[in-house]
Amino acid sequence: MIEVRNLVKRYGDVLAVDDISFDVGDGEVVGFLGPNGAGKSTTLKILTCYQPATRGSVRVAGFDVLTQSLEVRTRLGYLPESVPVYPDMRVEEYLRFRGLLKGVSRRDIGRRVEAALERCQCREMRRRMIGGLSKGYRQRVGLADAIVHDPPLLVLDEPTSGLDPNQRLEVRRLIQDLGKDKTVILSSHILAEVEAVAEKVIIIHRGHVVARGAPSDIVRELGGWNRIRVEVKADAAAVEGACKGIDGIGAIRVEPLTDGFVEAEFDTTATHDVRSEIARRLIEHGLALREMTRPGLSLEEIFRRLTTSASKEDAA
Amino acid sequence: MSQTRAYLILAAREVESYFLAPLMFLVFTVFLVLNGFAFYLSLGDAAGNVDLAVRNFLGGSLLFWINILLVPPLLTMRLVAEEKRTGTIEGLMTAPVQDVVVVLAKFTGALCFWIALWAPSIVYLLILRGFGSLPDPGILATSYLGVLLLGALLLACGLLASAVSPNQIVSAVLAVVFDLLLFFFPLLSMQMPQGALRRGLEHVSVLFHFQSSFGKGVLDTGVIAVYLVGTALPLFFAVRALESRRWS
Repeated sequence: MIEVRNLVKRYGDVLAVDDISFDVGDGEVVGFLGPNGAGKSTTLKILTCYQPATRGSVRVAGFDVLTQSLEVRTRLGYLPESVPVYPDMRVEEYLRFRGLLKGVSRRDIGRRVEAALERCQCREMRRRMIGGLSKGYRQRVGLADAIVHDPPLLVLDEPTSGLDPNQRLEVRRLIQDLGKDKTVILSSHILAEVEAVAEKVIIIHRGHVVARGAPSDIVRELGGWNRIRVEVKADAAAVEGACKGIDGIGAIRVEPLTDGFVEAEFDTTATHDVRSEIARRLIEHGLALREMTRPGLSLEEIFRRLTTSASKEDAA
Repeated sequence: MSQTRAYLILAAREVESYFLAPLMFLVFTVFLVLNGFAFYLSLGDAAGNVDLAVRNFLGGSLLFWINILLVPPLLTMRLVAEEKRTGTIEGLMTAPVQDVVVVLAKFTGALCFWIALWAPSIVYLLILRGFGSLPDPGILATSYLGVLLLGALLLACGLLASAVSPNQIVSAVLAVVFDLLLFFFPLLSMQMPQGALRRGLEHVSVLFHFQSSFGKGVLDTGVIAVYLVGTALPLFFAVRALESRRWS
């Protein structure tokens, strides 16, 4: 559905997108992740024909965004980041206008508006002026606008920003629902958001793609730092003393718990399992061990590491 | 989708939004009051000569020129600038609609409102019957054609101003400056020595032609052409201004 090749976007001296390439297949739900200013919105703006690329090519459904822009635009539903809607129109009237503008026939428009209202759960607001709606409803109207002409591709730029947790959950459900029969590309800087709805994520940072794939694959591939967490009755020095010199153990972080126990977290780079070795050492030193777990590195942390360390960015 | 259909949908929305905007009610009211007053003054100055009254009312009074120069910027300031400020431009330009269609639809909306502003003044002419005679229909027709063409030209300039401005205020100021420049063109040409430059300047002084042609019941194709070109050029540049976001 989407083919992005060597995309570069420069705003004056600022390089917003630096040579990124990716594909989105038909029917996929893809999360586009990155910290603020990573180049997510810029890429989506190019994808939706709002802005041109400096270099590189983007094809949507086989059409070039630059030379066959109208063809591309009839096939996509776009929710821009700021959810721009006309405040002086009523919800239903707005969707009608947008639907007709995006090519829905007069015969079908009533049905399409009804379906969009229904799907985005804003039927009860149909007669209200958009300017008077809450942020959550505005977002839903924006989504309804994106789907009113039943496009095969949805481009959603930060669809859950500024919503409260309940509204976020609702929008997330809606996207999951839409993802059943449409290709969806959505951007976010909140990983949990994307993890919940997308089967594939593309992590970009400073205009580069730093990781891509299924969330679980990314965890597996990049989760090279394993962690082991123990609860033990001791103080920090005793834990460190006991476990000093175990092969493959990196930093140890110790947090006191309430009842004389501490929580110690080991970073390990070992390829073999060092848990039994740690347990043996702790017990040999006469420390009471009551729990040992291996939490693994969550996608959240991988994301943070990828997007905060410059060296890892080039490695990926 | 056909672009004609997109134009009709957009134009309908533009016309509608004029008649629903609170500011436009205010503009309408103030305009009617000023225009009514201008008509009253024109009648007084004409001392019973209805043709003179019409000429005064349409082109021969200061109030007429104030209306002509200051009202179009109020109508056009919102058009593109407001969409840019609120971001709705992004939704508009990512719909399957060509830039030129957007500009033409917005221009159509403004022109329809301009016609609506002037339409009630036709009622005034019925009042003239009370003075015994109706004005010369030729002068009347060309004068109204002049109001339409001059309005179109100034609205097109205002639309261009709106397309290059980040917000309504800048847009309105820019449009007024445009209009004042047009207004001072003929004054400038009068200060010039005789010669090709002066003749050229007079030729493109659209306001100068208003009284010398439309006000006298004369249909000069050259003058009409200058007005039409003066309308088309700003519209063309407004399309380019919208496209400019695509230049990298």
